[in-house]
Amino acid sequence: MIDLIIDIIAFFCIYAIITLSLNFQQGYTGIFNLGLYFPIIVGAIITAYLPGRLAMIIYGIDSKLDFSANNAVVVSILRSKLSSDPIMSIMLLVLTMAIVALTCYVLGFLSAYPALKLPADYLALFMLCASESLRVIGMQTDWLAGGVMGITIVNPFWWLGGFSYYGMPVFTILATLFIILLYQRMCDSPLGRLLKSIRENELTAESVGKDVNKIKRTTLAFSFTMLGLAGVLHAFMMGAVVVGGYTRVDFSFWPWLMMIIGGTGNNIGVFLGTFGLVLMRRIMIVGKHYFWFLPFNVVWFEPILLAIMLMVTLIFRPEGILPEKSPRIKDYMRKVLKLES
Amino acid sequence: MVSQTLSVGQNPSLKENKPILIVDNVSKRFGSFYALQNIFLTVPEKSIVLLIGPNGSGKTTLINCISGVYKPDGGKILFNEKDITKMQIHDIVRIGLVRSFQVPAPFKKLTVAENLLVCGQNNPGENFLRSLNRRRWRVFERELVERMFKVLRTVGLEDKADTLAGELSGGQLKLLELGRLLMMNPKMMLLDEPIGGVNPVLANKILSHIIDIRNEFGASFMIVEHRLDIVMKYVDYVYVLSKGNLIASGSPTEIVEKKELYDVYLA
Amino acid sequence: MIPLPILLTALVYSFILSLLAMGFTLQYITLSVPNLAYATIAFASTYLTLTFSLMGLTPYVTMPFAFILGGAISFMLYKFVSFLRDRGTSIVGLMMATIVFDLIIYAGMNIYADYLATVFKIYAGSFSLSEFDFKIFSFPAVLFVSGITSISLVVFFTLMLVKTKFGVAMRAVMENYNLASVHGINTERILSTAWFFVGGLAGLSGSLYPIWFAMDPWVGARMFISIFAACVVGGLRSIYGSLLGGFIIAFSEVVVTYLFSIYFPWVWAYRSVTSMVIAAIALVEMPSGIAGLIQKFRGGR
Repeated sequence: MIDLIIDIIAFFCIYAIITLSLNFQQGYTGIFNLGLYFPIIVGAIITAYLPGRLAMIIYGIDSKLDFSANNAVVVSILRSKLSSDPIMSIMLLVLTMAIVALTCYVLGFLSAYPALKLPADYLALFMLCASESLRVIGMQTDWLAGGVMGITIVNPFWWLGGFSYYGMPVFTILATLFIILLYQRMCDSPLGRLLKSIRENELTAESVGKDVNKIKRTTLAFSFTMLGLAGVLHAFMMGAVVVGGYTRVDFSFWPWLMMIIGGTGNNIGVFLGTFGLVLMRRIMIVGKHYFWFLPFNVVWFEPILLAIMLMVTLIFRPEGILPEKSPRIKDYMRKVLKLES
Repeated sequence: MVSQTLSVGQNPSLKENKPILIVDNVSKRFGSFYALQNIFLTVPEKSIVLLIGPNGSGKTTLINCISGVYKPDGGKILFNEKDITKMQIHDIVRIGLVRSFQVPAPFKKLTVAENLLVCGQNNPGENFLRSLNRRRWRVFERELVERMFKVLRTVGLEDKADTLAGELSGGQLKLLELGRLLMMNPKMMLLDEPIGGVNPVLANKILSHIIDIRNEFGASFMIVEHRLDIVMKYVDYVYVLSKGNLIASGSPTEIVEKKELYDVYLA
Repeated sequence: MIPLPILLTALVYSFILSLLAMGFTLQYITLSVPNLAYATIAFASTYLTLTFSLMGLTPYVTMPFAFILGGAISFMLYKFVSFLRDRGTSIVGLMMATIVFDLIIYAGMNIYADYLATVFKIYAGSFSLSEFDFKIFSFPAVLFVSGITSISLVVFFTLMLVKTKFGVAMRAVMENYNLASVHGINTERILSTAWFFVGGLAGLSGSLYPIWFAMDPWVGARMFISIFAACVVGGLRSIYGSLLGGFIIAFSEVVVTYLFSIYFPWVWAYRSVTSMVIAAIALVEMPSGIAGLIQKFRGGR
């Protein structure tokens, strides 16, 4: 039972990072991006490639062994080494996150090049196809992340002994709390207002002196960074990377649904939407053996359910459960500016 | 060719004022159609200049060229002795030249207060990193809110602070547009039909606001407007455009006396 | 020299891809909403082909059924999207609506694959039906069938656009939706018919796919890249441009990648990435595609 709860909370955390990043792009700034999973895959691939090889170099493991080709052997050697080396384990984790953050920040900046040139629907298609291509690359390249079969990676919390599989979920929860705080701070500040103004009317935003392109670039770079970190956390938590598993349904369409159902442009709504849907999905996956009598795998109900919920939301509540709300100026002055009047 | 000399009619004290905006031989074409052809005009500091002409004569195109929405195909535009011809829209705003739109373009899902607050320039809270630390921007934002309330009173929207801009009436939107420009502390404003579609009472109110702003802050104005009956008595100088050419200029009284201009307008 | 099987593959692929690209473009022009479910609709019919083959029939029996299946799904999608559009849903919402259909069809395909697996005791997750094909002059029949189908459909479509009343009305609707409806053209009927027709085309071309290529439920997601690339290269708003784009993308995916793979064997696995690279370059360097280039060339003289 405790395992299930930790599992659900940890998965919720990953998705919360993804949907808040999506909301930051779409709900706030109005950048229509269907290729959310591009930075997530980047994060996963780097996590698959880097920490294991790094640890091999550090511990001077036989250079005839290859992390990808002799995956099982190498991982078991690394396990014995890392189990007694908490400092190295944590360093590997932090270093991976730092490198992914940096890479994704740069990629976000680069992706702004087409993003600022294209109309919204072209951009959405372009991002979707680019992410799908990256997925194909990951699946076809065995030395990168184990190809179709995937690859087992190190666990930075092996040194916890009997609790080693709780380390990563707990770390994920802490990291997510931090990221949520970042987003909430940004969205409640004048920056949030600025981003919404860009979403509402770019030309007007330009003509009140805002460098729209620069702000959109930074928005993309920042949310790419967070998405990349979500990829790292997800990969470490799963203990393995199968790039083929980062599909457009699981890592783009689901987050979109969570955001739309929760309330586009409202972080709390998006948060609630994410929680509800993650809970539902995990329960379905965990409880699938109760559906043994069906002649097919019950997980296929999941996309149908997703589709129906999306349809209902689009028809009856296009603004979501908690629609976007602007703060009343008196509340803003009292709560944020600490002004009494 | 049109005279380049500047003679300010109504307000003799403006004669000595140096020009804040100079449009020097500007042309703009769309395909083979000339929307503007060799336009010369100047706006002296602290003056209110009116730009008139029939539909399609190039008034809005000129505003768009000055504010950086279009890049002219030829000629130069100087603002405060600085060449702004090739500058980006937001950079032109930052040196104090702002504009309104013919069809008001507010941030519809933001409240009136937010619409105004977003116009604050160099707000440290709009920086990605600094926005995280409230102490870095709270003082600035407090002053901005104070100024916002002042502007709300000036344009008479004080009871609408929490209304979404998308729910305002046409006249109120014009006032919001004006308020937004005021928030930016500009040196000069380009107003594209500030009283278009507004009832005469409100229109007179808006125009007297403009006079007040000029007197109080020393801002200059260039106004595009059709409703000459109302607007003429407020302005210092008039330029007349027709088919992309500048065909006349003078004080309001001089322009009213030129009978041949009526034909242009009626044609 | 390029070996014959590679050339044949490129040919069959380009017949199928150009039909699909043409359909996608047509739907995009009519509603200004990119149909994200398009590839999945097309490949839903592959499971019909599989079923008929398993029942011992020739796979070509599927073609009329595939047409009806694709057309019907596409028609329903049109109704849903236009319903939402009339209620003022944004472009984002409309694209989400096409995703709704994509998900349902995707799940349906997987459920049906599971069902086939239990009934016929086969693995239906991935399959190829080339063994069910027959030969004409020692060439696989699917080469001729796909070629004749795609050429005759394009000819038929062109004739319809130019000669029939319906075609003229449709061109008017595509040119200017609002103007056409003001002039008393029944835009609703025209567009829903067009979407049925296009969905049918997609289903038809999809049903031929597994007779030559390996098939799995993810083909839709992968092929979407190629379809998008073909449309971008051809010009996203040009029907005949996308036809040409289909040929260009198909040949570069198969032939060009093959030529590279002679020297760098690993390149072969990245066929669908090739088209993405081409699409990216095309989007940045010539956003209006080949159609735009042709127009420029004509205008320049």
